[in-house]
Amino acid sequence: MSKLSVKKTLFISLVISLVLIIAGAFVFGFIGFNPDSSSQEYTSLEVADNGYMAINTSYRTALEEFCLDEIEGQGYDVSDVSYTAEASGGAGRLEFILSGDVAEEDVASFTQALDSALAAQTFAESGSTFKDLGDISVTYHQAVYEPHYEYIWRTAIGIGVALVLLFAYVAIRFKVGMGVTSLIAAVHDVLLTLAVIALLRIPAGPTVICIAAFALLLSVFLNLKVFGKMRQDFRLEERKDLSAREAVALSARESRKGVFIAAILAAAALVVLAVVGLIVGFDLFSFTIGALLAVIVCTYSSLVLSPAIYALIKEKSDARRAERAKYNYASEKANKKNANQEG
Amino acid sequence: MGKKKSAALIVLITIVLVGLLFLSITPTFPVTSPNSFRSLLSIVDLGRDLDGGYYTVYYPEGVISKAEYETLKAEYDYVAENTEEGQTPSVEDPAENYVAYKGIYLSTDISSSETGTGVTESFAESFADALSTVKKRYEERGLSDYTIRVQDDYTIRVEIPKLDHDDADAESIAQNMFTLFSYSGGLLFTDSHAANEAGTAEMEGTSEYIRNATTADAGDSGYAVVINFTSAGREAFRSLTSTLTSSESSVTLYIYAGDNQLMGATVSGEMDQDAVYITGGYTQEVAETVATLINTSISDSDVFDLTFESPEYYSMDALMGNSAALIIAICIGVLVLAMLIFSLVKFKGMGLAHVYGFITFAVAVIACISLIPAVQLTMGGIIAILAAAAIMVSCNYYAFNNIKKEFATGKTLTASIKAGYKKSLAFTIDVHAILILASLAIWLIATGPAHFMALVFLLSIAISAVCTLLVTRFYFYMFIAQPKNKIAFVGFKREETEDE
Repeated sequence: MSKLSVKKTLFISLVISLVLIIAGAFVFGFIGFNPDSSSQEYTSLEVADNGYMAINTSYRTALEEFCLDEIEGQGYDVSDVSYTAEASGGAGRLEFILSGDVAEEDVASFTQALDSALAAQTFAESGSTFKDLGDISVTYHQAVYEPHYEYIWRTAIGIGVALVLLFAYVAIRFKVGMGVTSLIAAVHDVLLTLAVIALLRIPAGPTVICIAAFALLLSVFLNLKVFGKMRQDFRLEERKDLSAREAVALSARESRKGVFIAAILAAAALVVLAVVGLIVGFDLFSFTIGALLAVIVCTYSSLVLSPAIYALIKEKSDARRAERAKYNYASEKANKKNANQEG
Repeated sequence: MGKKKSAALIVLITIVLVGLLFLSITPTFPVTSPNSFRSLLSIVDLGRDLDGGYYTVYYPEGVISKAEYETLKAEYDYVAENTEEGQTPSVEDPAENYVAYKGIYLSTDISSSETGTGVTESFAESFADALSTVKKRYEERGLSDYTIRVQDDYTIRVEIPKLDHDDADAESIAQNMFTLFSYSGGLLFTDSHAANEAGTAEMEGTSEYIRNATTADAGDSGYAVVINFTSAGREAFRSLTSTLTSSESSVTLYIYAGDNQLMGATVSGEMDQDAVYITGGYTQEVAETVATLINTSISDSDVFDLTFESPEYYSMDALMGNSAALIIAICIGVLVLAMLIFSLVKFKGMGLAHVYGFITFAVAVIACISLIPAVQLTMGGIIAILAAAAIMVSCNYYAFNNIKKEFATGKTLTASIKAGYKKSLAFTIDVHAILILASLAIWLIATGPAHFMALVFLLSIAISAVCTLLVTRFYFYMFIAQPKNKIAFVGFKREETEDE
C-alpha cells in the first residue's frame, strides 16, 4: 500500500461515510425513520362484533373478505388486516390499516356506507345480515404514535459507556492507536448503519436500537480480529523491517479470511431470516435487512477503513519512536565539553 | 488422557448432551392426559414481535366508543318505544348527551366547538397530563417492547408483550397492568375501608414522604412491594401506625391510588423503619407493576385527575408474523446443522470436538433464555444469539487453523495443538472480555429492547467464552485419545509417523 493509496483509501472511505451519515442524519431529522408496524401512524377501519366471529370462523372469513372488497372498491389501499379477540370476553375486532393519504371526511362517510352495506348483505345461507348476526359496529380511528424517548437516550448512554470501555481495553491490551481506531470504527459503523437505514427508507421501529447495538458488538469483534492479527504479526522478526503501511496492509490482507468467515456466518443466518420475513411478516424482513446492513458496514470498516486509519497512526508513531531513538551526537559532544571543562 | 477414560467420557458426555438436547428442543407432546411434555425452548418468554401480546384502549371519563354509543342508543330506542305517549322515557337519549368525534363519542360536558380541539380547554389539559403519566408508567415498567398511540385525539391505545409463556398467566398480568396504570389521583395511607371516607389517621403518599418503591423476593409469600420512606416519611409513618394501633391491637392499613384500593396490610404496632415490605402473594410481575405505579404517583407532576374507564383488553398477533418464532427456530436449526456438517468435513476430528462444543453452547444458551426470568427473547435477542454463535464458531475455526499452521511447520501433533491453542488464546480472551464488558454496560444502563438484547448477548457470549476456551478444547483432547492414527483423525497429512 503506497502512501498515496493509504491516504486515498482513507479519504475516499471517510468522504463516502461522511456523506452517507450526514445525508442520513438530514433524512432522519426531517422525516425520521420509515416507521414499521410498531411505530406507524395510521388510519384504520374497525369492524367490531359481539363475539360471533370467535365462534364462527367462516363468518369471520366472509366478513373480512366482504369488508376488504368494499374498502378496496372504494379506492383505499389496505396495508394490514388483523383480527383481535377480547381476552376476557368474546368480542372480536377486525382492523383494516389504510395506507397512503386518507382524508378524514371521506373515511367518515365511507364508514357509514360500509355499515349500511353490512346491514344489507346476508351471510351465506343464514338469511341474516352480517350486521345482525354479529351485532356489528363499524368505526374508523386515527392513531398517532407516541415516541418513548427514555430508552433511546439511556441506550445511547449505554453504547457511549461501551465505547469508552472498548477504547480503554484495546489501548491497554493492544496499542493506543488501535484503541483510537477501534473507537472511530465502532462509532462509524453504528452511525453509518443507522444512516443507511434512514436513507434506504427501511421500515424501522423502536427495535432499530437493537440493530445499532448489534453493529457496535459486531464492529468490536471484526476490528479485534484484524488488530489481533496485527498484534501477532508485528512481533514477528520478518515483519519488523516492513514499513508501517506495508505491515498493516499485509496483516489486514491476511485477516480477511477470518473476518469473512465470521461475516458470512452472521450474514447467512440473516439472509435466510430475511427470506422467511418476506413470507411470514414484513417487519421481520425489514429488521433482518437492517441487521444485514450492519454486517456489511462492519465488514467494510474492519477491512478497509480501520487498516487505513491505523496505518497512518502507526506511521506517525513509528516515525516519532525512530526520532526518539536517534543517537544525539551534538548532545554527546556538549556533554564531553562540559566534562572536560569541569575536569 | 487414556483410551479407556476417553471412551467412558465420550459415552457419558454423548448421553448427557443427547438428553439435554431432548429437553431443550423436542416439540411439545402429550404425556399423561391432560399433561404434556414441554421443552425448554417452548417455555422461553417471547417479545411482542415474536409472540404477540395484548392491547387496550383507555377511554377517559366522558369519552365512549362507537359500540358503546350504539348500545346506549339501542337501549334508549327500546325504552322510548315502550314508553307511553306523552311520558318521558326513563333512559336519557345519548344523542342529546354525546357528540360524534372521529371514531369516538364525546360527552357534551367536555365537548366544545369553540376551542378548535373539539373539547374544553380543561379537558384537553387533563388529558395531556394523564397521557404523560401513563407514558411514564409504561416506560418505567421496563418492558421489552410496547407501543403507545393516541387514538382519535382523546383515547390512549397501549400495546404490550406477553409477560409469561403461559397464556392464562400472561392475560392476568396484562389485565393487572392495564388496570393499575389507568389509576388516577395521588397515594393515600389510611385505615378507611373506602377512599372517600375519612379514616382514623391518614398519610399522603407524596415525594415528601416516599423515596421510591421497589420489589423484593419474599420467599413463600411470593414477591413484596418495598416502600422506602424519606426521613420525614419514616416519622409520619411511625406516627400513623402509632395512632392506628393505640386503640386496637391490630388494624388494616390500606393504600389508595385515587379512589382505587391498591393494597392493604395488617399493622399490629408502631412501625418506625426506613422501609415497609408489603406482601400479598404477588408474583414478580404484579409486584413490579405496583411498584411502578407507586413510583409514578408520588410526584405532584405525575398525579392526574382524569378518570379512565376500566379497560377491555384484546390479544394480538406477533408483529413479525404468525408462527414467526417457530419458523425462525427451524431456519436457525437447519443453518446450525449445515455449519456442523461443514465443520466435520473441513476439520474432521477437530470438527467433531467443535460439534460437541457447539451443542454444549446451544443447550446452555437455551437453558439460560428459558430458565432466567429476566430474559425475554425478541428479534434483537435472536440476532444477539446469532452473533455470539458466529463468534464462537469463528474462534474455534481460528484455533483449528492455527493448529494446522503449527503442524505444517513440522511440529508433532501434540505440540501443534498446544502451540495452536496458545496462539489463539490471547485473541479469544480479548474478544470475549471486551464483548462481555460492552454488553454488560448496555444491559445495566439501557432500557427497552436494547436492555433485553444485551442481556441475551451477555449470557451467550459468556457461554461462548467457556465453550471456546475450555469445553471444546477438552472435547478435542477427549476425542484425540481414541484413534490410532491421530494425524489422519484430524485430517492432517505427513509422511512421518506421530510421536505418540
